[in-house]
Amino acid sequence: MKKILVEHLKYRYPQAAELALNDISFEAEEGEKIGVIGRNGAGKSTLCQALTGLVPHFYKGAYGGRVIVDGTEVLSSSISEIVLKVGIVFQNPFTQVTGAKETVYDEVAFGLENLGLPRGEISSRVDAALELLRIYRFKDQAPFSLSGGQTQRMAIAGIIAMRPRIIVLDEPTSQLDPQGSEEVYQALDDLSDQGLTIVLTEHKIEKIAQYCDKILVLQDGRSVAFDTPARLFSAEDSDAWGIRPPVYTSVCRKLLRPPTGVYPVTLSEAGEALANWEAST
Amino acid sequence: MKQLTLYVDKQSFVHAVDPITKLFYVAFAILTSMLVPTAYAGVICALLSLSLLCLAKVIKNASPVFLFIGFVLFTVVVIQGLFGVNNQTEAFRLSGLIFYREGLITGAKIILRVVNIVSAFLILTLTTKASDLVEDLVRAGLSPRIGYVITSVFQIIPQMISSADIIMDAQRSRGMETEGGLMVRMKAFIPLIGPVVLDSFMSTKERAMALEARAFSAPNKKTFLRERPAYTYAAKLRGAFVVLTLAALIWRLAA
Ligand SMILES: Nc1ncnc2c1ncn2[C@@H]1O[C@H](COP(=O)(O)OP(=O)(O)OP(=O)(O)O)[C@@H](O)[C@H]1O
Ligand SMILES: [Mg+2]
Repeated sequence: MKKILVEHLKYRYPQAAELALNDISFEAEEGEKIGVIGRNGAGKSTLCQALTGLVPHFYKGAYGGRVIVDGTEVLSSSISEIVLKVGIVFQNPFTQVTGAKETVYDEVAFGLENLGLPRGEISSRVDAALELLRIYRFKDQAPFSLSGGQTQRMAIAGIIAMRPRIIVLDEPTSQLDPQGSEEVYQALDDLSDQGLTIVLTEHKIEKIAQYCDKILVLQDGRSVAFDTPARLFSAEDSDAWGIRPPVYTSVCRKLLRPPTGVYPVTLSEAGEALANWEAST
Repeated sequence: MKQLTLYVDKQSFVHAVDPITKLFYVAFAILTSMLVPTAYAGVICALLSLSLLCLAKVIKNASPVFLFIGFVLFTVVVIQGLFGVNNQTEAFRLSGLIFYREGLITGAKIILRVVNIVSAFLILTLTTKASDLVEDLVRAGLSPRIGYVITSVFQIIPQMISSADIIMDAQRSRGMETEGGLMVRMKAFIPLIGPVVLDSFMSTKERAMALEARAFSAPNKKTFLRERPAYTYAAKLRGAFVVLTLAALIWRLAA
């Protein structure tokens, strides 16, 4: 069974003239990591919200096509049913602080209280989520006293703790320094090893090329490509999508003509290809 | 981070009383002082509240409030004493002004009433965390939505103040004058309103979405992670306050 199935999704915000999402189709298997890229305003955040039913249940507007997550059609389920299956972490970490809790620990527990889980279950899940995001040592601090990166990780922990089978992250590392983003990606790796399906948007192309199994490229609300990073960035028309390929790919394009037509997209792949090229000349 | 709270973290038997029982006390103190037809009831209630504030070791924190209302009440008494509608009997003269007995008594009654209301509420606010009060109310059946709005306001307003500070700093670093006379400050304040209000308007929508993502509107019964210690005498005290308030009501109706 497909974990995520999006078919001809169209969506227009109320009072907007243009479609924010225009005929998007893609799918994801269990445990896959899907990257969504595109310029500002391409529709990445809107797509994230469509995967969790916030579009169209929270934002009304014109909606067409189907989004099926973990076997459930988003349009015919309530948001509180969908969030059990799909967790979403938003772009701005500060608006995700509930403001109703006095400590980081209680903040992370908020969603679990809402689900009505027994106390013992709540504490073990919160502990695990805090450990995974490496913010256990802040557990007794006030939520608003954390830095941007720590707040981002608290937001992720709050969603992880609810144990959804799919997690959608909208620019999860925008507030993080290189070290912090590395830690977040490591945490996501652990989760995807456990079989979680991950969808994330990201502006750091090198990062997403290395991390994701497949990449969906959005341009003005349309999906212009959906492929593995290697095939996607090797395509001749990738420049026309308004995204630039990873620097490693660009360098190799200048130097190499691989027989497969597929260029390296990560540092280690590029290193290997360049070493082979050096040996052959 | 500044906290928008009057709560004073001390140990006392007043602090130990649960928030809802304190609410019962507030209702009792205010209603009784208004219902009972003799002024003594008001005096007794006010003395009771003031001594509770002392015993809770928070009278110092209460004094600025009393100082402020004292100033307001003083003007009320003067105006009543001079110009009260029922004024007839001269009480005394002060540099040519005639103060009347009736007006002064009315003024005194107003003082008593205000002091009663303010001190009863101060007992609640100075010895109770707002979040504890709201949580207990939610447990007692208040809608979690309303509870959330109340608690988050206490946290988000300081948040807005600090975002105003950040914007103010940014404007200062661009050469805008923000210190000085009232006019200068006013002028510095106006361009702040836009970003701060817009910022909080946008974030309200995001906040609402983030709450949905945390299953805030799930239809099941919520868990309360923190166990709140039950207060031993809650039932007895609440019962006593209700009985006393009813007695005051009967007294009023009989008189
Ligand atoms: N609440 C809204 N109401 C109306 N239009 C909106 C709303 N949110 C976004 N849009 C519009 O929908 C389009 C897609 O926006 P979206 O936020 O999904 O882009 P994005 O790819 O996430 O951009 P960014 O990289 O800046 O985060 C944009 O044209 C935007 O102006
Ligand atoms: Mg976005």
